[in-house]
Amino acid sequence: MSVVDRVAARTPLPTGFYTLTKREILRFVRRPKNTFAPAITNVLYFSVFGVVLGARVGEIIGVPYILFILPGLIVLGAISNAFENASFSIFHGRWNEYIHETLTSPLSYTQMVWAYILSSAFRGLLVGAIIAAIGGGIISYLYQPVPIEQPVYLLAFMLVIVLLFASLGVVGGLLATDFDDLTMMNQFILRPLVFFGAVFYSLEDLTPLLRDVSMLNPMVYMVNGVRYGFLGVAEVDPNLSLFVLAGATAVVASIDVWLFKRGYGLTD
Amino acid sequence: MTHALEITDLRKSYGGVQALDGVSLTVPEGSFFGFLGPNGAGKTTFINILVGLVRKSGGEALVFGHDVEDDYRAARDAIGLAPQEFNVDRFFPIHEVLEHKAGYHGVPASEAEERAAEALQRVGIYDKRNTRFDWLSGGMKRRFMLARALVTDPDLLILDEPSAGVDVQLRRDLWELVTELNEQGTTILLTTHYIEEAERLCDEVAILDSGRIVTVATPAELKDRGLDRIVVTLREPLSVAPSVLSDDERVESIECEGNRLVVTARQGGLIAPTLVRELDRGGFEIVDMEIARTSLEEVFVELTNSGVDRPENQRDEGTAADDRDREEAPLVTDGGAAAQRGRSQ
Repeated sequence: MSVVDRVAARTPLPTGFYTLTKREILRFVRRPKNTFAPAITNVLYFSVFGVVLGARVGEIIGVPYILFILPGLIVLGAISNAFENASFSIFHGRWNEYIHETLTSPLSYTQMVWAYILSSAFRGLLVGAIIAAIGGGIISYLYQPVPIEQPVYLLAFMLVIVLLFASLGVVGGLLATDFDDLTMMNQFILRPLVFFGAVFYSLEDLTPLLRDVSMLNPMVYMVNGVRYGFLGVAEVDPNLSLFVLAGATAVVASIDVWLFKRGYGLTD
Repeated sequence: MTHALEITDLRKSYGGVQALDGVSLTVPEGSFFGFLGPNGAGKTTFINILVGLVRKSGGEALVFGHDVEDDYRAARDAIGLAPQEFNVDRFFPIHEVLEHKAGYHGVPASEAEERAAEALQRVGIYDKRNTRFDWLSGGMKRRFMLARALVTDPDLLILDEPSAGVDVQLRRDLWELVTELNEQGTTILLTTHYIEEAERLCDEVAILDSGRIVTVATPAELKDRGLDRIVVTLREPLSVAPSVLSDDERVESIECEGNRLVVTARQGGLIAPTLVRELDRGGFEIVDMEIARTSLEEVFVELTNSGVDRPENQRDEGTAADDRDREEAPLVTDGGAAAQRGRSQ
């Protein structure tokens, strides 16, 4: 029995819910390769986009280009991992049918769903923190210490976006019919949205038409919100963004519970 | 009195195919109940409805009084299931898999550790506790499935074809263990292809065929319904059958084969003394007598071959449940194999 178990035993946390959440976290903690792989990818991003190309780009909204792209890369890593963790864990469990261990247990459907969401969100935050540490280290060494102008907003935005994408990952895990579907969701939906979500450029650099189209992309609000947390500069009202994202998270998590209750992708 | 299972008109359809077609059944608390049926009969579908892996299309299923849908948490908490298919978490060593399973049922971590160790010791694979499921041998995997069902200390233990493909020793160990659990008060629901297993272990059996209950009875009652064969060898050959047992309704036929008299009847063991007396009175000298009692297997084959109002499409069309059941291990006894061949002809 670990220290965490002892602490959890003293809380009113339901044992079943705690156990499933722990199991989900241990699953990726025991296999850290995938969790730490984004560290390598992001060193490459920071080196090429930030250091090599960034020197030519100069400053955007008054900060070095590498600092401008830092929030976007954190968002990209965090949401990809939150989504992938939930979708993979659920789909792998379905594929090998060991999700039956959970489904045949007296956990409520809400507990099952939130165990998957919270553990996946935790992984997203972990990866976000790793990227922030790497980017922050490089930027501090080359330019200046990375500011955190609005720490409360930064935390709130990070929390809400990993929860939202973990919730979407649950849907992905239930909808997928093979492993290719999971790859497709990430490569053909998430990444394009992030890359066109003002990670590498400012909305000001776009034509009015493209700017209006970009505003339909939910990633714009997330990247903008996290950037506001770091730099204190926002191109979209952060409160509105936070409200809309929190609402979307509540809706998607409710859909997750409904799908579990209905047994979508889980029962015959 | 609360029953372990109270099933009323339970139905499940896959598209146009009825996997369960109005199953009604009561399993008393503390009983050892057998569920027999050929491949595709709906046994696994029935079990999966109880634990929430299959959604019922109609009817009602109560586990210790708890509805499997409206009160699913209490119903699932009461059940320990050892399914036929290996659906085990492959990410963790087996002792942790058990600890997690116990935890899902609300057992705190410290107690879950103890329970996992006890369950592994009970099924004899404690020394493999740090091994992942994939690295266990086939027999150990089967033992583990039982340990996982036991770790939550269930009131109703469901064993779905537990001895399919296992060796004699393991089967005997398994029988011993489940008998002990039943004696301690655990209700057991056993589905099996092995007629001998049901005959040996079960208080009562239900025979399911094409999604319908054909009969529910004790193994002894079922055997009494079958036809026994009494062969009496006489000193002198017979030209016509003697007039014996003429008023006994249990007798189906009496035939002469040279000096052998062959009587086909239900409850042959009870008829034999009367037969001997009447032959003796008639002046027939008996030199030998043999009673071949009907086996439960023969009764099973007879009941499931009768085609009780069976729609044709249930024979020809596949369902997810059928496919699963078709993967089940074949019968091991010769008679059973013959029964299977008989069905496919």
